[in-house]
Amino acid sequence: MRTFKALVKREYWEHRGAMFITPTAMTVFFAALLILGLITSSNIEINGDDFSLLNKMPQLVEQIDNHSEEEVDKVVQLALYSPIVIFGFVMFWVGIFYAVGCLYDERKDRSILFWKSLPLSDTQTVLSKFFTVIVVIPVLYFCALLVFQIYSLIFGTVLLWFGGDSGLIVWSSSNLFVVAFNSLMGLIISNLWLAPLWGWLMFASAWAKKVAILWGTLPVLLVGIAEGTIFNSTEFLEMVGVHIARGGIVATASINNLEKDGYVLDMDLTSPFQAFAFSEFWIGLVVAAVFLAGAIYIRRNRDEA
Amino acid sequence: MSTIIRAKGLSKSYGSFEALKSVDFTVERGKIVGLVGPNGAGKTTVLKAILGLTSFDGELEVLGLNPAGQRDDLMKRVCFIADVAVLPKWLKVKDAVEFVTEVHPHFNLERAKHFLNKTNIKWDSKVKELSKGMIVQLHLALVMSIEAELLVLDEPTLGLDILYRKEFYNQLLAEFFDEGRSILVTTHQIEEVENLLTDLIFIREGQIVLDASMDEVAESYVEVMVSRENVEQAKALNPLIERDVFGRKVYLFEGVPVEQLQEIGEVNSPSVADLFVAKMKEGK
Repeated sequence: MRTFKALVKREYWEHRGAMFITPTAMTVFFAALLILGLITSSNIEINGDDFSLLNKMPQLVEQIDNHSEEEVDKVVQLALYSPIVIFGFVMFWVGIFYAVGCLYDERKDRSILFWKSLPLSDTQTVLSKFFTVIVVIPVLYFCALLVFQIYSLIFGTVLLWFGGDSGLIVWSSSNLFVVAFNSLMGLIISNLWLAPLWGWLMFASAWAKKVAILWGTLPVLLVGIAEGTIFNSTEFLEMVGVHIARGGIVATASINNLEKDGYVLDMDLTSPFQAFAFSEFWIGLVVAAVFLAGAIYIRRNRDEA
Repeated sequence: MSTIIRAKGLSKSYGSFEALKSVDFTVERGKIVGLVGPNGAGKTTVLKAILGLTSFDGELEVLGLNPAGQRDDLMKRVCFIADVAVLPKWLKVKDAVEFVTEVHPHFNLERAKHFLNKTNIKWDSKVKELSKGMIVQLHLALVMSIEAELLVLDEPTLGLDILYRKEFYNQLLAEFFDEGRSILVTTHQIEEVENLLTDLIFIREGQIVLDASMDEVAESYVEVMVSRENVEQAKALNPLIERDVFGRKVYLFEGVPVEQLQEIGEVNSPSVADLFVAKMKEGK
């Protein structure tokens, strides 16, 4: 257990930029953007119409009273959930580059010989990397997201003060603990949903002789092309594409719960936990396990330079 | 218990190329063994087999374990420095120490601190900010703080300047080596380790051509500087190799009694480097 913890920490040390600095920078960037938007709106006047949000706040506060509690809850919670789309999107790409590099870079810089000089099994090492992409990365992106969500609530409160309101309604409507929990689960479960993708990329990473990203993508394309040539169909690439896209649906299930857009890709989730009801999810885990076993086997038996 | 490595019929092929041709040797506890051979002779293959980094045919036992199947257990008792380039560049010194503390049951943190404090290495530096010599110091500090029974070194001083190279071996002898441990080292810089070694193994084209203690080597191999009139006599004794030094001939003999050789010239112990050259050319 102690070893596994150290291995996970090791991953964090190596990828601090992608795992900590990137999400932190996103939070800071969007936080600044909100303030910037407010300042800009205060300075816009078109045809005598005042666009200043601050000046409009008293009007807005009055309008809140005209809406039901549920409607206010919905608006506040949607605002809190919506950054998941962008945090999840960046996290997805971070996961891609992490998974494709994690068993290749150590061979490229030959540091694998240092890791292999320590009593670390290949199974532990590969699983620590898988754990990193399934749990550590989502948790860190969630932390940044949570900071932004709390910041948004404070921002909303201050805005309401300009309308003469106490701003308490923002907090009472936010249901923050549930929103935070669902956000975290959305990020983790969507990465679990994508387990076969991470498994495949890690397998390619362990296997690649050069340019791991090509070893991760070309075989998939080649299978697609082969299928197109032989059967004149695109089932394989569709399956891959749909599965990945559904990962996004899992991550944003809580948004869908509040604001039904009509469901896409035959998947209508109102909670990330509903992903467990799909056989596709469980098959994906089995596929991931097969690829991970392959990655472990290659790492163990490969003749190092 | 006193044998640390036992190889019997150890073989390895890469396709049709036989890197190791059924090699037998042992390494005893408390020995410093030099494994010497030209590039491509199979040195690295031997080391990789011992460390469980490659598959092999034949029998190989390291500390009673099979390196191919029991790697994780083996690496608790065996350490190696592959070469200086393998510490990851992004790793911080303090994190490296923390990591090894966490994962290695026989790592002594106080010793590591003691070694590192004697260097100019800063605790907060990343490996990429260190000079090559400092990286070796760091790696050595980590390895010497592990209570290992076998230390394997593969060209550990490659690319280092002479000051660091001397320091490297001096420190190993003074701070790490004792009779409970063994060191197996390969190097091209034979002169550097010559005085350190207790045993010598020469390997050529996948076969062992010499496996002896340094005492045995000193007994069996004698170099004689012969003046011109005795050249024919010397040649009759079947020297391994002949070379010219300042117009005189120097012959290297194997197993010829010293008394007999003293009659034809000035007797010396050969350097390992000269012995190596002789052994590599033998029969060619």
